[in-house]
Amino acid sequence: MVKEIERAGIPVVHICTVVPISLTVGANRIVPAIAIPHPLGNPALDPVEEKKVRRKLVVKALKALETEVEGQTVFED
Amino acid sequence: MRLELGRIKITDVQFADTTKVEKGTLYVNEQELVNMILEDEHIKSVKVDLAKPGEETRITPVKDVIEPRVKVDGQGGIFPGVMNKVTTVGTGRTHVLSGVAVVTCGKIVGFQEGIIDMSGPGAEFTPFSKTLNVCFVIEPIEGLKQHEYEAAARMAGFKAANFIAKAGLDVLPDEVEIYETKPLLESILEYPNLPKVGYVYMLQTQGLLHDTYVYGVDAKKIVPTILYPTEVFDGAILSGNCVSACDKNTTYHHQNNPIIHDLFARHGKDINFVGVIITNENVYLADKERSSDWTAKLCKFLGLDGAIVSQEGFGNPDTDLIMNCKKIENLGIKTVIVTDEYAGRDGASQSLADADAKADAVVTGGNANEVILLPPMKKIIGMLNYTDKIAGGFDGSLRPDGSIEAEIQVITGATNELGFNKMSATSF
Repeated sequence: MVKEIERAGIPVVHICTVVPISLTVGANRIVPAIAIPHPLGNPALDPVEEKKVRRKLVVKALKALETEVEGQTVFED
Repeated sequence: MRLELGRIKITDVQFADTTKVEKGTLYVNEQELVNMILEDEHIKSVKVDLAKPGEETRITPVKDVIEPRVKVDGQGGIFPGVMNKVTTVGTGRTHVLSGVAVVTCGKIVGFQEGIIDMSGPGAEFTPFSKTLNVCFVIEPIEGLKQHEYEAAARMAGFKAANFIAKAGLDVLPDEVEIYETKPLLESILEYPNLPKVGYVYMLQTQGLLHDTYVYGVDAKKIVPTILYPTEVFDGAILSGNCVSACDKNTTYHHQNNPIIHDLFARHGKDINFVGVIITNENVYLADKERSSDWTAKLCKFLGLDGAIVSQEGFGNPDTDLIMNCKKIENLGIKTVIVTDEYAGRDGASQSLADADAKADAVVTGGNANEVILLPPMKKIIGMLNYTDKIAGGFDGSLRPDGSIEAEIQVITGATNELGFNKMSATSF
C-alpha cells in the first residue's frame, strides 16, 4: 500500500514495528513503532503517559512527511 | 551429555481397568485419567477418547500433541521446571511409548487450533494420523479467562502424558538409541577434521497465547542460550502455543525434533554436531535485534562452520529468521534456514514477509495457503462449530454435510518448520 500511494505521487510515512520488513518492501520514510501487538501505543503506561507517547509518534511521522529524503530513510529518535 | 532413548513400540491402545503396557498394547484406565485432570479446578469436564490410524475420525480443535516419555535412569524428570523439579535433564535413560500420542482439544482461541484426520486426504498432511491418539476434550469452567484455559489445557496434557508414560517404566524397549554430545573442547578434539555444525532453534514467543517454555521459563524472557541436544528429548522445551496449526511446533515436535535427530545421525561421520542454540521470536524490534545479535555471537563463540536455523510460525518471525541468517552469515558461518511459505492459494505470491540475498540455502515445509477439501468423517472427537473462524478457514468452510474446505494451514503439523512432515520443494 505504501508503494502504491507513493506511485500516485503522494508521499507516505510508514509507521512500523518491524523496520527490516518495511525496508524489504521498499518504504521510503519509516518511523519505528512501539511493538507488534500495539504499534501506536503502550498499554503498560497510564493513559496520560501513553497519550504523550502517541502524540510524539504522530508528530514525528508528520515531520518525516515534510522531510526530503534521498532513498530509504529510517527516522530514529 | 549422554542419553539412552528406549523405544517401546506400541501397536494398539485400549481402555482397561489398569493403565499398563502388555505385548505392545497400551491399556489406559479412562476414569483414572478423568479424575486426575479434574483435580484442576479450572476444568469443568474432560472427555477421553481413542483415535487410531485409518479410522474415519476427525479430531478438532487440537491444542497440543505430546509423546509419553518417562525417565528411567539419570537425573531429573520429563518436562523439568513444569512437571518435575527444574533439574537439568538429558542424561541417563528415557523410555518412550513410541507410536502413542496424547492429544489435547479445546476451543481455547477458536481460530488457532488445528485438525487431525485419521484417514482420507487430510491424514496425508499430519504425522498424527499415524499415531495411536489418546484424546482429551477439555471444557473450562464458566467465566475462565482464555489464558487460564490455555494453561489448564496445557498442564492437563503433560499430566496425562507423564501418567501414561509411567506404564513404560519397567518394560523392555524394542530398540535403544544412544545420543551423546561432549563438552565443546572435547568434541572438537575428538573430530578435529570435521566441520562444526550447530543448530539455531527458534521458539515462538510472540506472547498473547503464542508462547514456548524452556525449563518452565517463558522463552520470551530468555536471551539466546546453549542446550545440549539431548535436553530437548527429555522435554526441556514445551509448547504453550495457540497459533496456526500447520507450522506451530507441538510438544511432540519438540520432543522428536527431526533436525536434532538427523544432525546426531551424521555426527562423527561428516559433521561434528556441537550443540543447540535456542532463541526467541519477540514482538519488540529491540528484542529481535538483541536475540539475533546474541545468536550470531554464540555461533561464532562455538567456532561453528555451519548452522541450521529453524523458524516457528510465520509473519513477523520471518524477520527474526532473516536477521539470524544474515548476522550469522556476516560472521563467516554458513547457514541453511528451514521455514514454510504463505505464497497465496496459487503459490504465486512472495513466500516470506522478509528476505535477504544471504538466505541462499532454504528448506521449505510447503505452502500453507494451499486449499484442501476434507470429506465428512463418521466420528468427531471435539467439535466442528468453529471451523469458519479457524486460521486457514473462511466463511462457509464447514459445509452442511460435515466436509471442510480450507487451507492446509488448519491441519496440525502440515507445513512444520522442523521438517516433521512430507512436503517440501526442490529447485534446480
